[in-house]
Amino acid sequence: MSANDLLSCGIDVGTSAVKVAVVACPEDGPERLLTTYAERLRRRDPLEVAEACYDAVLAQAGLRRDQLSYVATTGEGEVVGFRTGHFYGMTTHARGGLFLDPEVRAVLDIGALHTRAVLMDERAKVLSYRMTSQCASGSGQFLENICRYLGVTIDEIGPLSRQATAPETCSSICAVLAETDVINMVSRGITVPNILRGIHDSMAGRYQKLLASAGAKGAVLVTGGLANDIGLVAALRDLAPDLDVRVHQLSAHAGAIGAALWGGFRARRLQRRGRVARGGS
Amino acid sequence: MSSSELDRLLADAEHLYRDLTFQSVRDWKRRTGGLAIGYMPVYVPREILHAQGCLPVGVLGGGEDLEIIRGDAFYQSYICHIPRSTIELGLNGALDCLDGMLFPATCDVIRNLSGMWRMQFPDKFVHYLDVPQDFDPQVGGTFYEHELQSIAAALAARGAKPLRDDALAASIAVFDTHRDAVEALYTLRREQPWKVPTHELYLLLRAGMLLPVEEHVPLLRRYRELVLADAARRPMDQARVLLTGSFCEQPPLGMIKTLERAGCYIVDDDFVPVHRWIRGRVARGGAPMRDLVGAFLESGVPSAIRYAEHGGKGDDVVARVRECGAEGVVFCAPSFCDPALLDQPMVVRAIERAGIPWTAFKYSENTGQFQVIREQAGTFADSIKLWSTV
Repeated sequence: MSANDLLSCGIDVGTSAVKVAVVACPEDGPERLLTTYAERLRRRDPLEVAEACYDAVLAQAGLRRDQLSYVATTGEGEVVGFRTGHFYGMTTHARGGLFLDPEVRAVLDIGALHTRAVLMDERAKVLSYRMTSQCASGSGQFLENICRYLGVTIDEIGPLSRQATAPETCSSICAVLAETDVINMVSRGITVPNILRGIHDSMAGRYQKLLASAGAKGAVLVTGGLANDIGLVAALRDLAPDLDVRVHQLSAHAGAIGAALWGGFRARRLQRRGRVARGGS
Repeated sequence: MSSSELDRLLADAEHLYRDLTFQSVRDWKRRTGGLAIGYMPVYVPREILHAQGCLPVGVLGGGEDLEIIRGDAFYQSYICHIPRSTIELGLNGALDCLDGMLFPATCDVIRNLSGMWRMQFPDKFVHYLDVPQDFDPQVGGTFYEHELQSIAAALAARGAKPLRDDALAASIAVFDTHRDAVEALYTLRREQPWKVPTHELYLLLRAGMLLPVEEHVPLLRRYRELVLADAARRPMDQARVLLTGSFCEQPPLGMIKTLERAGCYIVDDDFVPVHRWIRGRVARGGAPMRDLVGAFLESGVPSAIRYAEHGGKGDDVVARVRECGAEGVVFCAPSFCDPALLDQPMVVRAIERAGIPWTAFKYSENTGQFQVIREQAGTFADSIKLWSTV
């Protein structure tokens, strides 16, 4: 780290996990990602988990709280008391997506409760977005419920879905109907891979429409927790062959990385304007 | 100290805000035997009521906690929410403690409400306070003075003290002190918005709708002392915004909190405008009644319910943005509020000419879902912080 580096931390408080990232922002030149950290909430208080993750990521990076110039929250992190500022999910996923893959001009953020298609320019300025409605179908929470019905872990979903030979169609409109569909499929003896691929297809169908209505073209980066689901990503690639659907190994951290980067940007700007914004101490 | 005293002070203010039985007014009447006179937004000269020994009581609708059972029968669905909740409060007995109601000229709906009140509560004093839109003292001034004198005479006929010059002069002085105390908080919020969150300031302003002015001034001053001493209130990186359009029907408290959590420091607003309708102190020099009338004509704040010379609408908002250092404007008006929404395009034109970013949404006093407003305000704050050149 150089003495001129400004350090910024991003905390993405999601519905099922907290993701944290620390970046170094030099005066000139590209920002560098120093480290990331994540913990699942598992019914704990999100604010306590956020604070624990913050301390853990600092320990991992060998930093103290007072060395940070900005702590940026995103997601549900707007009530985190030690934040310097908060940025909205669309803003941070766009920035994080661009950082992880500079060629993309759209991100598909698939979270536990919502999915957003976000279009941005080469500076990560959000140009337009579309978001799923309030129904949880097409979200990570929905998929977790299905896991419980089928007796598989969330990590097994992707590989199992890839083994499907005759996917079974299920409702893409309503989570309750989809869950009923799944229960019926189980009683009809449909195999788990075929059920999962059917669900992935139905979710991917919603995403494809979301991306089309937002006007996405070319390379699209999948971000959010479900970016790790290889079955879902494969289904989306099949359904949207005109798009270049990409995933990065840190896709799940895109929001936290974007928040950290915007935090660094704001810290520099405030510094230049002589305005005060406290760090995360 | 301090944080616990501050917590208690704010809890008391919130209790007053949520008390739809107007118990504090009932207690005051029991203690003093005086008349309690209600008034609707936006402005009434409370000095007159005070000088006659009456308690001015701000009635700002039923807010977020009142279930409307009978009020909806009085108004069509394309009418704002405040008249139906006010009628509800009247019919359910909550406003029995009031000896009269003033309905200041705000819009057709409030005029209509004054007529309904007269029919529903024939034994109560009801006055539609017509205010001049001609600010020539010989024309509008004479008219307005006549209006105020007629209110004073009617109150005296119902048992209030007759209006005397020395009492009115003393009341003007008391309310000048009140205006100073309110302005001191607005100034502090402008300079250090992290010290004075708007949802707290708002609760204090609402307390002033019910408390006697002699109790409200010390409350405002004590709050200011406590927050200045509170080292835990430290600056955050939020977008500074001016909020406009909420001068009559008030937003739910949760909406103000939502805006702040979404990343906005509200550094100027037009909430509960009766407290700030007269800018600064009332200029003295003549008979107290004339001074009060002159203050309304010459020092009244520009507003959607006040006539502005041709082409002048919106210039005041631009000037206020500059004055308070706001980085954007949030148009936050009640659904179906004609004055606010008809002015909005003119104000938008003025602020766009000045290159000031803005966003707009509508609410009702009983709005309970803030997710859309949260997203909109949050992305607006983001766009200011990241892309604005203002």
